[in-house]
Amino acid sequence: MNGKQLERVYCPVCQAKFRFVEGWKEGSMVICPICGQKLRLNRSSDGWVGDRPEKGTEKEIRERVDEYARLHGYVFKDMKEELIQGLLGKNRRFKDFYCPCRMEHVPEYMCPCKPTRGGDVERDGKCYCGLFWKKA
Amino acid sequence: MKEKPKVYALSTCPYCKRTKRFLEDHKIAYDCTDVDLLDDAEQDKILEKIEKMTGKRSFPVVIIGEEIIVGHDEDRLRKALRL
Repeated sequence: MNGKQLERVYCPVCQAKFRFVEGWKEGSMVICPICGQKLRLNRSSDGWVGDRPEKGTEKEIRERVDEYARLHGYVFKDMKEELIQGLLGKNRRFKDFYCPCRMEHVPEYMCPCKPTRGGDVERDGKCYCGLFWKKA
Repeated sequence: MKEKPKVYALSTCPYCKRTKRFLEDHKIAYDCTDVDLLDDAEQDKILEKIEKMTGKRSFPVVIIGEEIIVGHDEDRLRKALRL
């Protein structure tokens, strides 16, 4: 035990903290290993926080879902583009990328939603809306 | 058909869009409510009704006579509409 406290980074998309990697510094661009969001590191009084450099843009959500699929080895099917359009519609109307197939506009349903991050794809073969699929 | 089919949908849901497109492609006149675009009071009322009918909050919901179809299901739509 060296007494050094493990540093963590807060992700505003999945609202969880992940491990700070040695060498990262203020302004570093990193990918949240939990949800795939691209983050710019910012040191706040509460510790490391990731900012969303392209918040609310089409680029942001496309990169996030691609990264999330890559991190977990998931694949997309023919509905991908329609679901992306649905996510963009949610952002236009409800100010963030909530699941296009759900009624509720709450942080836990920001894509990839909490049930997806909790193992829905592993269990059911796909996420609730069918964006992410387990590889056959 | 006595009554027009009734569709409850979400404006952003691609499966709901496919159901609407299916009805339009088959020249079926229908009534549609995009539940996510309603004001809060109206939304609560409709969601309660949907949950009572289907036991869940899943979309689209299509009501054709006595038949209630949850999700985009072309086989069931065809059967219910006798296409």
